[in-house]
Amino acid sequence: MTRAARWVALAAVAVGLVTFPYWSAAWESSRFATTVLRDMLVFAIFALSLDILVGHAGMPSLGHAAFFGGGAYAAGIASQRLGTDQLPITLAAAVLVAALLALVIGLLVVRSEGIFLLMLTLALAQIVFAIAFQWTAVTGGSNGLAGVSRPTLFGIDLSAPDRMYVLVAATFLVVSLLIWSLMRSPYGRALTGVRENERRMRALGYDTTRLKLSAFVVAGMIAGVAGALSAYSQRFVSPGDAGIGTSVQAFVMVLIGGAGTILGPVLGAGVVMYIQRVLSSAIPVSETVLGLVFIGFVLLARQGIVGLGRAAYARVRAP
Amino acid sequence: MSPELLFQQALNGLSFGALLFILAAGLSLVFGMMDVVNLAHGAFYMLGAYVALTVVQFTGSFWLALAAAPVALGALGLAIEPLLLRHLRGRHLDQVLLTIGVSLVIVDLIGLIWGREVRSLPFPPGLDGTVVLIGGVYPVYRLFVIAFGVALAAVIAVIYRRTKLGMLIRAGVEDAEMLGALGVNTDRLFALTFAVGAALAGLAGVIAAPVFGLQPGMDVDALLYSLVVVVVGGLGTLGGAVAGSVLVGPVDTFGKVLFQEFALAVIFAIVALVLLFKPTGLLGRIRIAR
Repeated sequence: MTRAARWVALAAVAVGLVTFPYWSAAWESSRFATTVLRDMLVFAIFALSLDILVGHAGMPSLGHAAFFGGGAYAAGIASQRLGTDQLPITLAAAVLVAALLALVIGLLVVRSEGIFLLMLTLALAQIVFAIAFQWTAVTGGSNGLAGVSRPTLFGIDLSAPDRMYVLVAATFLVVSLLIWSLMRSPYGRALTGVRENERRMRALGYDTTRLKLSAFVVAGMIAGVAGALSAYSQRFVSPGDAGIGTSVQAFVMVLIGGAGTILGPVLGAGVVMYIQRVLSSAIPVSETVLGLVFIGFVLLARQGIVGLGRAAYARVRAP
Repeated sequence: MSPELLFQQALNGLSFGALLFILAAGLSLVFGMMDVVNLAHGAFYMLGAYVALTVVQFTGSFWLALAAAPVALGALGLAIEPLLLRHLRGRHLDQVLLTIGVSLVIVDLIGLIWGREVRSLPFPPGLDGTVVLIGGVYPVYRLFVIAFGVALAAVIAVIYRRTKLGMLIRAGVEDAEMLGALGVNTDRLFALTFAVGAALAGLAGVIAAPVFGLQPGMDVDALLYSLVVVVVGGLGTLGGAVAGSVLVGPVDTFGKVLFQEFALAVIFAIVALVLLFKPTGLLGRIRIAR
């Protein structure tokens, strides 16, 4: 395929994705599929943001839910306290809070690596979870934050399920394009350099601490966007959104799909959400299936689905 | 706070600390030897409690459960290490990720087998009463937990310092690779270590069950608390696990009295501070592996 043809195909897929509830309307499961697809895309955004850290910058974080949850709560609380459903306002609140959280946590963790980084991010995210869980007056505590209103944008009410879906899908496209171009930019290459050999990058004159911190903030902001979308979609924020379970979920998505790629986290989010939302109604052991799939990928195909695909493609191409 | 209440809370804190030691000792041992933070430790703990529940239901004996659960968990650990972890030797981060998958599977199967509602395990007969201590009544079982924790620490210390196995473990914690080069079968030692770690988690699950009950989510709580203890005390050393649990137990107990809503946040803030300023923990001297 030529470059142009590839872009045309990609654009067609994008248009098809955003308009899914409309062209699938005749299908009896269209409503359900739209909901599942919407939640997949919310988590795809979340997984993509985590992959900036895990895959691109080489910073395995088990605390990414802090930013997802932070964004979700910020959007919900801003909407309730300010009495507004204006998307720009509530989304800005989510991104701002997530960015601040990411800046603070990032400042504390950027000098750590490996298992140590994993535990530090986990501990710091648990502080955010604990606050969400216990500060009942602001967050609703263990009951969560109920009755989050769906947003309006430029006077368009996005509360109908199909419009909510379009908002999520369009945001997903914008975010993936953004991350794709960011990771191809000199900035993204520098991040990859940090992942591959931080000492060499420092020797080359890069301020690797600042690079990693900026990656943390960018990833946190995008996770905040995902959190806000989750709050709008579910009309509910649970303290679990900021908890270790959500962090683990995103990590599993990134690894199953393939870290360090754009397609990987998206596919991973698809697989995980399919198992949790569709397969779970068919069999009682869907989480076991998820665990086994994850174990299989860690043991046998650490590069994820994308890695398997690339290997298969290389074998087909080979003479 | 009245002196009686203070004393009671201090005992509660110590009792919780003793439980934390039983829980964290296994995690610490596995990390010290294998450089793996076993994120399935909480799931092992949970499984221990549920195995005890079934044993008590069928035999009525808490003491049998206290023996059976560690044995069952030890066998599981003995299977998991060679089947799964061994294939990723040297890739510590991947091993840690693998344990996430293990815990997903175990917790889900527990829900399938035992259900997802809250269950309780009765106090063992003889330990279900209260005693009068300094003008207040106090549950005997909590005193038993303190005694059990101290006894276990003593037993582990003797094994650690006085036996050949203990010598191998100390050497393995220091430098497992060198130990292998000296002709010790590290495969077997690692499998045994992982099994003992799992058995200790199962033991903690049994001990904790009469106090805290059995419910979904107990695995996460246990994992987080044991991480807190080993991080604060120092990863991979026995003394670190003791110091961490003796510190975290009372801090958590008094924190819940004093800060109420923010006790949890306080605990994790302490962890973050320790990780930042003394990454090896209060007593730790282990290098953190990549």
